[in-house]
Amino acid sequence: MIITRAPLRISFVGGGTDIKEFYSRYPGRVLSTSIDKFVYIVAHTGNFGNFIMKYSKTETVEDVLEISHTRFKEALVKMEIPKGIEIASFADLPAKTGLGSSSSFTVALMKALYSIKGKKISKEETAQAACELEIDILKEPIGKQDQYAAAYGGLNVITFNTDGTVSVEPVFMDFKFKSKFENHMMLFFTGMTRSASSVLSGQKKKIDDNFETYKKMSDSVLVFRDKLLSQDLRGMGEMLHEAWQRKKTLASSVTNDSTDALYETAIKAGAWGGKILGAGGGGCLLFMAEPGTQEKIQEALEKKAKGLKLNDFKRVHFGLTVSGIDVLFNSSNIL
Amino acid sequence: MYKYIDNFADEVIEQMRNLPKDEIAKAIHIIQSVYERDGRIYVFGNGGSMAMATHWVGDFNKTVFSHNLDSSIKRFQAIRLPSTEAEITAWANDVGFDMVFAGPLKNYLQETDCLIAISSSGNSLNIIKAVELAKSHHVPVIGVSGFTGGKLNELADAKIVVKTKSGAYAVVESVHNAILHLLTSYFQDYFDHIIEKNGKK
Repeated sequence: MIITRAPLRISFVGGGTDIKEFYSRYPGRVLSTSIDKFVYIVAHTGNFGNFIMKYSKTETVEDVLEISHTRFKEALVKMEIPKGIEIASFADLPAKTGLGSSSSFTVALMKALYSIKGKKISKEETAQAACELEIDILKEPIGKQDQYAAAYGGLNVITFNTDGTVSVEPVFMDFKFKSKFENHMMLFFTGMTRSASSVLSGQKKKIDDNFETYKKMSDSVLVFRDKLLSQDLRGMGEMLHEAWQRKKTLASSVTNDSTDALYETAIKAGAWGGKILGAGGGGCLLFMAEPGTQEKIQEALEKKAKGLKLNDFKRVHFGLTVSGIDVLFNSSNIL
Repeated sequence: MYKYIDNFADEVIEQMRNLPKDEIAKAIHIIQSVYERDGRIYVFGNGGSMAMATHWVGDFNKTVFSHNLDSSIKRFQAIRLPSTEAEITAWANDVGFDMVFAGPLKNYLQETDCLIAISSSGNSLNIIKAVELAKSHHVPVIGVSGFTGGKLNELADAKIVVKTKSGAYAVVESVHNAILHLLTSYFQDYFDHIIEKNGKK
Protein backbone atom coordinates (compact mmCIF):
# COMPACT_ATOMS: atom_id res chain seq x y z
CA MET A 1 0.00 0.00 0.00
CA ILE A 2 1.31 3.41 -1.02
CA ILE A 3 -0.14 6.81 -0.11
CA THR A 4 1.13 9.85 -1.99
CA ARG A 5 0.11 13.47 -1.69
CA ALA A 6 0.62 16.45 -4.02
CA PRO A 7 -0.38 20.04 -3.20
CA LEU A 8 -2.65 22.31 -5.23
CA ARG A 9 -1.20 25.63 -6.33
CA ILE A 10 -2.02 29.28 -6.78
CA SER A 11 -0.28 30.99 -9.67
CA PHE A 12 0.20 34.72 -9.47
CA VAL A 13 1.79 35.82 -12.75
CA GLY A 14 3.11 34.36 -15.99
CA GLY A 15 0.47 31.65 -16.54
CA GLY A 16 0.26 30.73 -20.22
CA THR A 17 3.97 31.28 -20.93
CA ASP A 18 4.58 27.62 -20.00
CA ILE A 19 3.24 26.43 -23.35
CA LYS A 20 5.83 25.03 -25.79
CA GLU A 21 4.65 27.22 -28.66
CA PHE A 22 5.87 30.15 -26.55
CA TYR A 23 8.82 28.96 -24.46
CA SER A 24 10.59 27.39 -27.44
CA ARG A 25 10.99 30.97 -28.72
CA TYR A 26 11.41 32.96 -25.49
CA PRO A 27 11.85 31.74 -21.87
CA GLY A 28 8.50 31.35 -20.14
CA ARG A 29 8.17 32.11 -16.43
CA VAL A 30 5.54 31.73 -13.73
CA LEU A 31 5.49 32.62 -10.06
CA SER A 32 3.31 30.26 -8.07
CA THR A 33 2.97 28.75 -4.62
CA SER A 34 1.71 25.46 -3.24
CA ILE A 35 -1.13 25.67 -0.71
CA ASP A 36 -2.38 23.50 2.14
CA LYS A 37 -4.94 21.70 -0.04
CA PHE A 38 -3.98 18.36 -1.53
CA VAL A 39 -4.73 15.52 -3.90
CA TYR A 40 -4.07 12.08 -2.40
CA ILE A 41 -3.52 8.81 -4.24
CA VAL A 42 -3.83 5.49 -2.47
CA ALA A 43 -2.52 2.53 -4.47
CA HIS A 44 -2.79 -1.06 -3.37
CA THR A 45 -1.53 -4.18 -5.10
CA GLY A 46 -2.75 -7.67 -4.35
CA ASN A 47 -4.01 -10.91 -5.78
CA PHE A 48 -7.52 -9.88 -6.62
CA GLY A 49 -6.86 -9.94 -10.35
CA ASN A 50 -8.53 -6.82 -11.73
CA PHE A 51 -7.87 -3.14 -12.25
CA ILE A 52 -10.01 -1.20 -9.79
CA MET A 53 -10.04 2.60 -10.12
CA LYS A 54 -11.91 4.66 -7.55
CA TYR A 55 -12.60 8.34 -8.10
CA SER A 56 -15.97 10.04 -8.52
CA LYS A 57 -16.87 6.66 -10.07
CA THR A 58 -15.60 3.15 -9.48
CA GLU A 59 -14.32 1.13 -12.41
CA THR A 60 -13.54 -2.58 -12.16
CA VAL A 61 -12.10 -4.00 -15.38
CA GLU A 62 -9.98 -6.95 -16.40
CA ASP A 63 -8.06 -5.31 -19.22
CA VAL A 64 -6.19 -2.07 -18.61
CA LEU A 65 -7.41 -0.73 -21.98
CA GLU A 66 -11.00 -0.92 -20.76
CA ILE A 67 -10.39 1.79 -18.13
CA SER A 68 -12.34 4.86 -19.19
CA HIS A 69 -10.44 7.33 -16.97
CA THR A 70 -7.72 8.25 -19.46
CA ARG A 71 -5.06 9.35 -16.96
CA PHE A 72 -5.35 6.17 -14.93
CA LYS A 73 -5.33 4.11 -18.11
CA GLU A 74 -2.34 5.73 -19.81
CA ALA A 75 -0.31 5.91 -16.59
CA LEU A 76 -0.83 2.19 -15.95
CA VAL A 77 0.03 1.35 -19.56
CA LYS A 78 3.15 3.51 -19.53
CA MET A 79 4.35 2.05 -16.22
CA GLU A 80 3.49 -1.50 -17.37
CA ILE A 81 1.59 -2.22 -14.17
CA PRO A 82 0.00 -5.69 -14.30
CA LYS A 83 -3.53 -6.37 -13.13
CA GLY A 84 -4.17 -6.80 -9.44
CA ILE A 85 -4.06 -3.13 -8.58
CA GLU A 86 -6.55 -0.86 -6.88
CA ILE A 87 -6.07 2.92 -6.96
CA ALA A 88 -8.22 5.56 -5.28
CA SER A 89 -7.94 9.34 -5.41
CA PHE A 90 -9.08 11.93 -2.88
CA ALA A 91 -8.96 15.72 -3.06
CA ASP A 92 -9.44 18.54 -0.57
CA LEU A 93 -11.19 20.64 -3.22
CA PRO A 94 -13.24 19.70 -6.29
CA ALA A 95 -11.61 19.43 -9.72
CA LYS A 96 -11.65 22.19 -12.34
CA THR A 97 -11.30 25.04 -9.86
CA GLY A 98 -8.15 26.51 -11.41
CA LEU A 99 -5.85 25.31 -8.65
CA GLY A 100 -3.93 22.89 -10.84
CA SER A 101 -5.62 19.85 -9.33
CA SER A 102 -5.51 17.70 -12.46
CA SER A 103 -1.72 17.93 -12.60
CA SER A 104 -1.47 17.43 -8.83
CA PHE A 105 -3.43 14.24 -9.46
CA THR A 106 -1.01 13.11 -12.18
CA VAL A 107 2.05 13.97 -10.06
CA ALA A 108 0.68 12.01 -7.09
CA LEU A 109 -0.30 9.12 -9.38
CA MET A 110 3.08 8.86 -11.13
CA LYS A 111 4.96 9.02 -7.83
CA ALA A 112 2.73 6.25 -6.47
CA LEU A 113 3.20 4.03 -9.52
CA TYR A 114 6.99 4.44 -9.43
CA SER A 115 6.91 3.60 -5.71
CA ILE A 116 4.93 0.45 -6.48
CA LYS A 117 7.70 -0.57 -8.85
CA GLY A 118 10.21 0.02 -6.05
CA LYS A 119 11.67 3.13 -7.73
CA LYS A 120 12.30 6.35 -5.86
CA ILE A 121 12.26 9.32 -8.17
CA SER A 122 13.23 12.94 -7.52
CA LYS A 123 10.88 15.92 -7.67
CA GLU A 124 12.28 16.77 -11.09
CA GLU A 125 11.73 13.25 -12.39
CA THR A 126 8.19 13.22 -10.99
CA ALA A 127 7.37 16.52 -12.70
CA GLN A 128 8.82 15.22 -15.97
CA ALA A 129 6.86 11.96 -15.73
CA ALA A 130 3.63 13.92 -15.19
CA CYS A 131 4.40 16.28 -18.11
CA GLU A 132 5.13 13.33 -20.37
CA LEU A 133 1.83 11.68 -19.48
CA GLU A 134 -0.32 14.79 -19.84
CA ILE A 135 1.35 16.58 -22.74
CA ASP A 136 3.08 13.90 -24.84
CA ILE A 137 0.83 10.91 -24.28
CA LEU A 138 -2.58 12.43 -23.56
CA LYS A 139 -1.94 15.38 -25.92
CA GLU A 140 -3.56 17.85 -23.58
CA PRO A 141 -3.04 21.43 -24.78
CA ILE A 142 -1.63 22.46 -21.40
CA GLY A 143 1.71 23.79 -20.17
CA LYS A 144 4.16 22.48 -17.61
CA GLN A 145 3.70 24.88 -14.69
CA ASP A 146 1.25 22.81 -12.67
CA GLN A 147 3.24 19.58 -12.76
CA TYR A 148 6.33 21.45 -11.54
CA ALA A 149 4.43 23.43 -8.89
CA ALA A 150 2.91 20.23 -7.48
CA ALA A 151 6.14 18.22 -7.57
CA TYR A 152 8.44 20.85 -6.03
CA GLY A 153 6.09 22.67 -3.62
CA GLY A 154 6.79 26.08 -2.09
CA LEU A 155 6.76 29.54 -3.62
CA ASN A 156 8.90 29.52 -6.75
CA VAL A 157 9.86 31.29 -9.90
CA ILE A 158 9.61 28.48 -12.46
CA THR A 159 11.45 29.15 -15.73
CA PHE A 160 10.66 27.21 -18.92
CA ASN A 161 13.87 27.41 -20.91
CA THR A 162 13.95 27.46 -24.71
CA ASP A 163 15.79 24.10 -24.75
CA GLY A 164 12.84 22.45 -22.98
CA THR A 165 14.46 22.23 -19.53
CA VAL A 166 12.79 23.79 -16.50
CA SER A 167 14.48 25.64 -13.60
CA VAL A 168 12.80 26.07 -10.22
CA GLU A 169 14.06 28.93 -8.00
CA PRO A 170 12.47 29.18 -4.56
CA VAL A 171 11.62 32.63 -3.21
CA PHE A 172 12.38 32.65 0.51
CA MET A 173 10.04 34.38 2.97
CA ASP A 174 10.25 34.30 6.73
CA PHE A 175 7.17 33.26 8.70
CA LYS A 176 6.22 36.82 9.63
CA PHE A 177 5.96 37.96 6.04
CA LYS A 178 4.37 34.68 4.96
CA SER A 179 1.65 35.23 7.53
CA LYS A 180 1.15 38.84 6.45
CA PHE A 181 1.01 37.77 2.81
CA GLU A 182 -1.63 35.13 3.64
CA ASN A 183 -3.66 37.75 5.50
CA HIS A 184 -3.75 39.95 2.41
CA MET A 185 -5.19 37.29 0.12
CA MET A 186 -8.76 36.15 -0.41
CA LEU A 187 -9.67 33.07 -2.42
CA PHE A 188 -13.20 32.42 -3.69
CA PHE A 189 -14.65 29.48 -5.55
CA THR A 190 -16.94 31.04 -8.16
CA GLY A 191 -19.24 28.04 -8.31
CA MET A 192 -18.47 27.70 -12.02
CA THR A 193 -16.11 24.96 -13.18
CA ARG A 194 -14.38 24.65 -16.50
CA SER A 195 -11.83 22.45 -18.20
CA ALA A 196 -8.44 24.11 -18.68
CA SER A 197 -7.99 22.37 -22.00
CA SER A 198 -10.95 24.09 -23.59
CA VAL A 199 -9.68 27.53 -22.60
CA LEU A 200 -6.07 26.77 -23.45
CA SER A 201 -6.71 25.43 -26.95
CA GLY A 202 -8.24 28.80 -27.76
CA GLN A 203 -5.16 30.56 -26.39
CA LYS A 204 -2.65 28.28 -28.09
CA LYS A 205 -3.92 29.11 -31.55
CA LYS A 206 -3.23 32.77 -30.89
CA ILE A 207 0.38 32.65 -29.62
CA ASP A 208 1.73 34.30 -32.78
CA ASP A 209 -0.76 37.16 -32.66
CA ASN A 210 -0.06 37.74 -28.99
CA PHE A 211 3.68 37.04 -28.82
CA GLU A 212 4.57 40.47 -27.38
CA THR A 213 1.87 40.15 -24.70
CA TYR A 214 3.25 36.75 -23.68
CA LYS A 215 6.79 38.21 -23.49
CA LYS A 216 5.50 40.94 -21.17
CA MET A 217 3.75 38.31 -19.05
CA SER A 218 6.96 36.31 -18.73
CA ASP A 219 9.08 39.37 -17.85
CA SER A 220 6.51 40.60 -15.35
CA VAL A 221 7.29 37.52 -13.21
CA LEU A 222 10.67 39.00 -12.26
CA VAL A 223 9.07 42.35 -11.38
CA PHE A 224 6.47 40.57 -9.25
CA ARG A 225 9.20 38.56 -7.50
CA ASP A 226 11.08 41.78 -6.67
CA LYS A 227 7.92 43.32 -5.22
CA LEU A 228 7.45 40.17 -3.16
CA LEU A 229 11.03 40.32 -1.90
CA SER A 230 10.60 43.99 -0.95
CA GLN A 231 7.29 43.03 0.71
CA ASP A 232 5.29 45.47 -1.39
CA LEU A 233 1.90 43.78 -1.06
CA ARG A 234 -0.07 46.64 -2.53
CA GLY A 235 2.25 46.77 -5.54
CA MET A 236 1.71 43.03 -6.01
CA GLY A 237 -2.07 43.48 -5.89
CA GLU A 238 -1.92 46.26 -8.46
CA MET A 239 0.28 44.13 -10.71
CA LEU A 240 -2.30 41.32 -10.57
CA HIS A 241 -4.91 43.81 -11.71
CA GLU A 242 -2.79 44.86 -14.72
CA ALA A 243 -1.95 41.24 -15.56
CA TRP A 244 -5.63 40.28 -15.47
CA GLN A 245 -6.51 43.06 -17.90
CA ARG A 246 -3.75 41.79 -20.20
CA LYS A 247 -4.73 38.13 -19.92
CA LYS A 248 -8.32 38.85 -20.87
CA THR A 249 -7.12 39.92 -24.34
CA LEU A 250 -5.60 36.47 -25.01
CA ALA A 251 -8.73 34.42 -25.68
CA SER A 252 -12.40 35.18 -25.29
CA SER A 253 -12.86 32.07 -23.12
CA VAL A 254 -10.48 33.41 -20.41
CA THR A 255 -13.37 35.19 -18.75
CA ASN A 256 -17.15 35.47 -18.92
CA ASP A 257 -19.78 37.96 -17.80
CA SER A 258 -20.28 36.49 -14.33
CA THR A 259 -16.54 36.38 -13.64
CA ASP A 260 -16.16 39.97 -14.82
CA ALA A 261 -19.07 41.07 -12.64
CA LEU A 262 -17.56 39.40 -9.57
CA TYR A 263 -14.15 40.88 -10.29
CA GLU A 264 -15.50 44.40 -10.66
CA THR A 265 -17.51 44.01 -7.46
CA ALA A 266 -14.39 43.13 -5.46
CA ILE A 267 -12.38 46.01 -6.92
CA LYS A 268 -15.21 48.45 -6.13
CA ALA A 269 -15.35 47.14 -2.57
CA GLY A 270 -11.65 47.92 -2.10
CA ALA A 271 -9.53 45.02 -3.42
CA TRP A 272 -6.16 46.11 -4.85
CA GLY A 273 -6.30 43.57 -7.63
CA GLY A 274 -6.92 39.97 -8.39
CA LYS A 275 -7.18 37.32 -11.00
CA ILE A 276 -8.96 34.23 -12.06
CA LEU A 277 -6.89 31.19 -11.15
CA GLY A 278 -5.83 28.70 -13.74
CA ALA A 279 -6.59 28.93 -17.42
CA GLY A 280 -9.70 31.01 -16.84
CA GLY A 281 -13.37 30.71 -17.66
CA GLY A 282 -14.57 30.02 -14.11
CA GLY A 283 -12.88 28.26 -11.23
CA CYS A 284 -11.48 30.35 -8.39
CA LEU A 285 -10.90 34.07 -8.00
CA LEU A 286 -7.98 35.39 -5.99
CA PHE A 287 -7.89 38.92 -4.61
CA MET A 288 -5.31 40.88 -2.71
CA ALA A 289 -6.71 43.36 -0.22
CA GLU A 290 -6.02 45.03 3.10
CA PRO A 291 -7.28 42.81 5.96
CA GLY A 292 -9.54 45.66 7.17
CA THR A 293 -11.48 45.75 3.89
CA GLN A 294 -11.94 42.01 3.50
CA GLU A 295 -15.20 41.67 5.34
CA LYS A 296 -16.77 44.31 3.10
CA ILE A 297 -15.36 42.66 -0.05
CA GLN A 298 -16.64 39.25 0.99
CA GLU A 299 -20.13 40.57 1.73
CA ALA A 300 -20.30 42.41 -1.59
CA LEU A 301 -19.15 39.33 -3.49
CA GLU A 302 -21.58 37.00 -1.73
CA LYS A 303 -24.43 39.33 -2.55
CA LYS A 304 -23.34 39.61 -6.18
CA ALA A 305 -22.91 35.82 -6.50
CA LYS A 306 -26.40 35.29 -5.14
CA GLY A 307 -27.74 37.68 -7.78
CA LEU A 308 -25.86 35.71 -10.45
CA LYS A 309 -27.34 32.47 -9.06
CA LEU A 310 -23.90 31.06 -8.27
CA ASN A 311 -25.12 28.91 -5.39
CA ASP A 312 -21.78 27.20 -4.75
CA PHE A 313 -19.88 30.50 -4.47
CA LYS A 314 -17.80 30.56 -1.30
CA ARG A 315 -14.60 31.76 0.30
CA VAL A 316 -11.84 29.18 0.66
CA HIS A 317 -9.36 29.78 3.48
CA PHE A 318 -5.86 28.55 2.80
CA GLY A 319 -2.23 28.74 3.89
CA LEU A 320 1.05 28.69 1.98
CA THR A 321 3.21 25.55 2.19
CA VAL A 322 6.67 24.43 1.14
CA SER A 323 6.53 20.65 0.75
CA GLY A 324 5.80 19.19 -2.69
CA ILE A 325 5.06 15.63 -3.75
CA ASP A 326 5.40 13.26 -0.82
CA VAL A 327 5.10 9.56 -0.19
CA LEU A 328 3.27 9.62 3.14
CA PHE A 329 3.13 5.88 3.54
CA ASN A 330 4.81 2.96 1.84
CA SER A 331 4.17 -0.42 3.41
CA SER A 332 6.79 -2.14 1.27
CA ASN A 333 9.56 0.26 2.12
CA ILE A 334 12.73 -1.50 1.12
CA LEU A 335 15.76 0.75 1.43
CA MET B 1 46.32 38.39 26.37
CA TYR B 2 43.68 40.90 25.18
CA LYS B 3 45.11 40.73 21.71
CA TYR B 4 44.79 36.95 21.65
CA ILE B 5 41.17 37.20 22.74
CA ASP B 6 40.48 39.93 20.18
CA ASN B 7 42.07 37.93 17.38
CA PHE B 8 39.86 34.93 18.06
CA ALA B 9 36.78 37.11 18.41
CA ASP B 10 37.64 38.89 15.14
CA GLU B 11 37.87 35.61 13.27
CA VAL B 12 34.48 34.49 14.56
CA ILE B 13 32.90 37.90 13.92
CA GLU B 14 34.26 37.91 10.37
CA GLN B 15 32.56 34.55 9.75
CA MET B 16 29.35 35.66 11.43
CA ARG B 17 29.20 38.69 9.12
CA ASN B 18 29.49 36.44 6.09
CA LEU B 19 26.98 33.71 6.85
CA PRO B 20 25.70 31.87 3.74
CA LYS B 21 22.19 33.36 4.06
CA ASP B 22 20.62 31.72 1.01
CA GLU B 23 21.78 28.31 2.14
CA ILE B 24 20.50 28.87 5.68
CA ALA B 25 17.16 29.94 4.16
CA LYS B 26 17.15 26.70 2.16
CA ALA B 27 17.82 24.73 5.33
CA ILE B 28 14.86 26.42 7.07
CA HIS B 29 12.75 25.55 4.02
CA ILE B 30 13.77 21.90 4.19
CA ILE B 31 12.98 21.68 7.91
CA GLN B 32 9.62 23.41 7.34
CA SER B 33 8.71 20.93 4.60
CA VAL B 34 9.64 17.98 6.83
CA TYR B 35 7.38 19.42 9.52
CA GLU B 36 4.50 19.73 7.02
CA ARG B 37 4.77 16.09 6.02
CA ASP B 38 5.41 14.87 9.56
CA GLY B 39 8.85 13.49 8.73
CA ARG B 40 11.88 13.18 10.98
CA ILE B 41 15.14 15.10 11.15
CA TYR B 42 18.30 13.03 11.67
CA VAL B 43 21.28 14.98 13.01
CA PHE B 44 24.79 13.62 13.31
CA GLY B 45 28.52 14.34 13.39
CA ASN B 46 31.82 13.13 14.88
CA GLY B 47 33.34 14.35 18.15
CA GLY B 48 32.45 17.99 18.85
CA SER B 49 29.98 17.88 15.97
CA MET B 50 28.21 14.96 17.62
CA ALA B 51 28.01 16.99 20.85
CA MET B 52 26.42 19.81 18.83
CA ALA B 53 24.03 17.39 17.16
CA THR B 54 22.92 16.12 20.58
CA HIS B 55 22.50 19.65 21.95
CA TRP B 56 20.51 20.68 18.87
CA VAL B 57 18.13 17.72 19.13
CA GLY B 58 17.37 18.64 22.74
CA ASP B 59 16.71 22.25 21.79
CA PHE B 60 14.68 21.37 18.74
CA ASN B 61 12.41 18.89 20.44
CA LYS B 62 11.80 21.00 23.51
CA THR B 63 13.19 24.57 23.49
CA VAL B 64 11.41 25.32 20.21
CA PHE B 65 8.11 24.70 22.00
CA SER B 66 9.14 25.79 25.50
CA HIS B 67 6.75 28.77 25.54
CA ASN B 68 3.95 26.48 24.44
CA LEU B 69 4.54 23.14 26.10
CA ASP B 70 0.86 22.81 26.98
CA SER B 71 -0.29 23.55 23.45
CA SER B 72 -1.53 20.68 21.34
CA ILE B 73 0.47 21.80 18.30
CA LYS B 74 2.28 19.08 16.37
CA ARG B 75 5.95 18.92 17.41
CA PHE B 76 9.22 18.10 15.69
CA GLN B 77 10.73 14.66 15.60
CA ALA B 78 14.46 15.38 15.66
CA ILE B 79 16.68 12.40 16.35
CA ARG B 80 20.42 12.23 17.07
CA LEU B 81 21.97 9.52 14.93
CA PRO B 82 22.50 6.89 16.17
CA SER B 83 20.27 7.38 19.14
CA THR B 84 22.08 4.87 21.40
CA GLU B 85 25.74 4.32 22.35
CA ALA B 86 25.11 0.63 21.82
CA GLU B 87 24.50 1.19 18.11
CA ILE B 88 27.64 3.31 17.67
CA THR B 89 29.88 0.73 19.29
CA ALA B 90 28.14 -2.25 17.70
CA TRP B 91 28.51 -0.88 14.18
CA ALA B 92 32.06 0.34 14.81
CA ASN B 93 33.16 -2.93 16.38
CA ASP B 94 31.36 -5.37 14.11
CA VAL B 95 31.38 -3.62 10.74
CA GLY B 96 33.63 -0.58 10.82
CA PHE B 97 33.62 3.02 11.93
CA ASP B 98 32.57 4.22 8.48
CA MET B 99 29.15 2.63 9.03
CA VAL B 100 28.23 4.14 12.43
CA PHE B 101 25.76 6.58 10.81
CA ALA B 102 24.74 4.91 7.53
CA GLY B 103 24.17 1.56 9.27
CA PRO B 104 21.58 2.75 11.80
CA LEU B 105 20.10 5.26 9.34
CA LYS B 106 19.18 2.42 7.00
CA ASN B 107 16.86 1.10 9.74
CA TYR B 108 14.82 4.28 9.95
CA LEU B 109 15.07 6.37 6.81
CA GLN B 110 11.82 7.29 5.03
CA GLU B 111 11.29 9.57 2.04
CA THR B 112 9.58 12.17 4.24
CA ASP B 113 12.72 12.71 6.38
CA CYS B 114 15.76 14.99 6.14
CA LEU B 115 19.35 14.91 7.38
CA ILE B 116 21.54 17.49 9.06
CA ALA B 117 25.16 16.35 8.67
CA ILE B 118 27.75 18.30 10.64
CA SER B 119 31.42 17.91 9.66
CA SER B 120 34.11 20.61 9.79
CA SER B 121 36.20 19.02 7.03
CA GLY B 122 33.14 17.79 5.15
CA ASN B 123 35.12 14.69 4.26
CA SER B 124 34.61 12.23 7.15
CA LEU B 125 33.88 8.91 5.46
CA ASN B 126 31.18 7.86 7.92
CA ILE B 127 29.33 11.15 7.33
CA ILE B 128 29.59 10.88 3.56
CA LYS B 129 28.28 7.30 3.57
CA ALA B 130 25.14 8.37 5.43
CA VAL B 131 24.69 11.36 3.13
CA GLU B 132 25.05 9.17 0.05
CA LEU B 133 22.44 6.78 1.41
CA ALA B 134 20.00 9.67 1.87
CA LYS B 135 20.74 11.12 -1.55
CA SER B 136 20.09 7.78 -3.25
CA HIS B 137 16.55 7.97 -1.85
CA HIS B 138 16.10 11.70 -2.66
CA VAL B 139 15.99 12.56 1.03
CA PRO B 140 17.14 16.21 1.39
CA VAL B 141 20.43 16.86 3.19
CA ILE B 142 21.48 19.98 5.08
CA GLY B 143 25.28 20.02 5.09
CA VAL B 144 26.98 22.02 7.85
CA SER B 145 30.69 22.09 7.02
CA GLY B 146 33.84 24.20 7.36
CA PHE B 147 37.22 24.77 5.62
CA THR B 148 36.49 24.23 1.89
CA GLY B 149 33.27 22.30 2.54
CA GLY B 150 34.64 19.01 1.21
CA LYS B 151 32.47 16.29 -0.27
CA LEU B 152 29.62 17.03 2.16
CA ASN B 153 29.20 20.49 0.67
CA GLU B 154 29.15 19.05 -2.85
CA LEU B 155 26.44 16.52 -2.01
CA ALA B 156 24.23 18.63 0.28
CA ASP B 157 21.01 20.33 -0.85
CA ALA B 158 21.50 23.20 1.61
CA LYS B 159 25.23 23.91 1.48
CA ILE B 160 26.06 25.70 4.73
CA VAL B 161 29.84 26.03 4.67
CA VAL B 162 31.90 28.21 7.04
CA LYS B 163 34.88 28.90 4.77
CA THR B 164 38.16 29.05 6.69
CA LYS B 165 41.71 27.80 6.34
CA SER B 166 42.00 24.08 6.85
CA GLY B 167 42.12 23.01 10.50
CA ALA B 168 40.41 26.10 12.00
CA TYR B 169 38.13 23.87 14.08
CA ALA B 170 37.56 26.32 16.93
CA VAL B 171 36.23 29.07 14.65
CA VAL B 172 34.23 26.66 12.48
CA GLU B 173 32.57 24.90 15.41
CA SER B 174 31.78 28.20 17.16
CA VAL B 175 30.00 29.44 14.05
CA HIS B 176 28.29 26.07 13.48
CA ASN B 177 26.84 26.32 16.96
CA ALA B 178 25.53 29.81 16.24
CA ILE B 179 23.94 28.65 12.97
CA LEU B 180 22.30 25.69 14.69
CA HIS B 181 20.95 28.03 17.36
CA LEU B 182 19.67 30.33 14.62
CA LEU B 183 17.57 27.44 13.28
CA THR B 184 16.22 26.76 16.77
CA SER B 185 15.42 30.45 17.35
CA TYR B 186 13.66 30.75 14.01
CA PHE B 187 11.32 27.87 14.73
CA GLN B 188 10.77 28.95 18.33
CA ASP B 189 9.64 32.38 17.07
CA TYR B 190 7.63 30.71 14.33
CA PHE B 191 5.63 28.56 16.74
CA ASP B 192 5.14 31.47 19.16
CA HIS B 193 3.69 33.36 16.19
CA ILE B 194 1.46 30.51 15.00
CA ILE B 195 0.09 29.80 18.46
CA GLU B 196 -0.57 33.47 19.14
CA LYS B 197 -2.32 33.81 15.78
CA ASN B 198 -4.45 30.70 16.27
CA GLY B 199 -5.29 31.77 19.79
CA LYS B 200 -6.64 35.07 18.50
CA LYS B 201 -8.99 33.39 15.99
